[in-house]
Amino acid sequence: MMTVDLDQTPRSLLVFDRSSFLDEKNRISSQVEQHHFNYKVSVLLPECSSAPSHLDSVLNSFKSFYLIRNMPIYELLDKHFLETAAYKGSVYGLSYRTRVDEDNCVALMPNGRLCLSLDKDSFQVLGVEGKPSRFNHRTNSRYVVSVDLTHSSMAPGGRGYVRLLTGLRSRLHLKTDFLLSHHPGGGASLQALLSRYDWSEHRPEIRSRVLTQLSCPALLTSDLQSSDPHSFLEWLGAVDADASRENSSSSFLSSLVCPEPSTTLNQALSVSVCGLLLPQDIHRLIQEIRRHLEHHLESWASLTVHGFVDSPVSWGDSEHGVMRGGENFYSLLMFHDHTYHLHQATGAHDTCPP
Amino acid sequence: MSGVDEKDESAVYRRVVLKNASPYHYLEVCLVLQDESTRLSAVELKQFIISGLKSLYGEVGAALTFDLLKYDEDKLTALLRVYSRGLVKLWSSLTLLGSYQNQACAFRVLQVSPFLLALTGNSRELQLD
Repeated sequence: MMTVDLDQTPRSLLVFDRSSFLDEKNRISSQVEQHHFNYKVSVLLPECSSAPSHLDSVLNSFKSFYLIRNMPIYELLDKHFLETAAYKGSVYGLSYRTRVDEDNCVALMPNGRLCLSLDKDSFQVLGVEGKPSRFNHRTNSRYVVSVDLTHSSMAPGGRGYVRLLTGLRSRLHLKTDFLLSHHPGGGASLQALLSRYDWSEHRPEIRSRVLTQLSCPALLTSDLQSSDPHSFLEWLGAVDADASRENSSSSFLSSLVCPEPSTTLNQALSVSVCGLLLPQDIHRLIQEIRRHLEHHLESWASLTVHGFVDSPVSWGDSEHGVMRGGENFYSLLMFHDHTYHLHQATGAHDTCPP
Repeated sequence: MSGVDEKDESAVYRRVVLKNASPYHYLEVCLVLQDESTRLSAVELKQFIISGLKSLYGEVGAALTFDLLKYDEDKLTALLRVYSRGLVKLWSSLTLLGSYQNQACAFRVLQVSPFLLALTGNSRELQLD
C-alpha cells in the first residue's frame, strides 16, 4: 500500500545577501539589471507622510509601455523591427494574460534573446529546436525555445530565421496580447509595428498610502546577525497586504505579530508602482532612495520588486515557471550608512538567483 | 529538510542561501457560493475551514493551527497562513469542502507561496483594459 506523506514540506528558496553600496565588489547593479520583467515595485519609507519631491519625480518618470492586442508573434522577427529596435537592445517584451503553466508564453529580452514557453502540441507544430522545460511533472508537457536574434544564424534570410518565421507564420499562428517597453530611441522605431495592430499606451500605476502607529522590527538597534530573514519578509508582506499585525495570543483569527524586538513608528509611507517596469528605472529609484537616506540619520528604507509570475525567465536567461507558485521577487533593505540587505526569493525549482 | 550555505568573502559581504527554510506557507483563497449574496464574517469563515479539516482529518486534523491574516467580506477572499508541514492538509480540506449551510460552495485557491510578500505582487491581477 502506498502511503502519502501529508507532512511533506513544500520547497522554497531564499538568498540573503548582506553588503554595502560602497563595496566595489557589490553586484547589486547587475542583480537589478538581470531581473528583466518587473511587475510591481513597492517602497516603504519610515517616518514619512508624503513622498519627498525628488522621489515623487523619479516615480513619475518611470517609462510608459505599450499593450498590443492579439499580436502575431512572427512580428517580432520583422526585419524593420529587428533593425530599429531589437538589435539596438533595451527592448523588453512579454506576452500578457498568458499563464506559463497552461498557455504559450513569449518573452523578448533586451539582449535580443527571444524565449518561447510552449505546451507540447504547440512545440511539435512549431518544428523548431527546443528543450524540455525544467518545470515538467513526470512527463514532458512543456518545452522552451530560446533563440538569440542577434546571432548570425538568426539573421534575416538565414536558415534558422526562415525556419522560425515559417513556424510562427504558417504552422503555429501564435498570437497573444503583448506588452512592449518604450524604446529609448523614441517611439518612431516601434510605430511601424504598432500601426498594424490595436495598441494602447499605459503609464505605470502609482498608489500610495500613509500608515500610522506602525509597529516594526527594530532594524537599527537589534543584532542583525541573528535576525531571521523569513520573519522580516513576513512582516513586510503583512504591511504590504494590510494584514492585521497586532494580535493577542488568545485571538481566534490570527496570531501574526511583529517580530521582536520591535519599535513603533508614528507614521510610514508605502508607495507602489505597477506595470511593465524597467530595471533602469528601478536602479534610478534605488539611487534616489539612497540620496534620501543620506539626509535622514538613523533611518532605513525598504524596496521590493516583484517579477511577473508568468514570465518564462526570471534572472538573466534562467527559466522560470509555476509549480505551486510563481514568485520571483527581491527585497532590498537599505540603511543610512550605505549598507544593504538583499533578499532574493524564487520558487524552489527555479535556478538560484545571481 | 533545510540547508544553509554561507560565504564570507570580506568583513562586509555575506551571502546565505536558505533552502526549504520558510516556516509558514501562505494562501490566497476565494470562497465561491451558490447564493452569491451570502456573506460570512471572519470568525464564521475560520470556523467553516476548521469544520472542513475536521471532516477530512478528524479531531487531530482540526487542531491544525492556521491564521486568517486578512479577510475581504465583500469579495469573500482571505489570506491564510499555515505551518509548512500543514499545507497539504489545509489545501486538501479546502479543495474537498463542498457545501456551506446546505448550499454548494467551492474554495478557489488563487495563490500559494512560502512568502507573504509574494502574495501582494501577483502579476495575474494586472488589468490594463
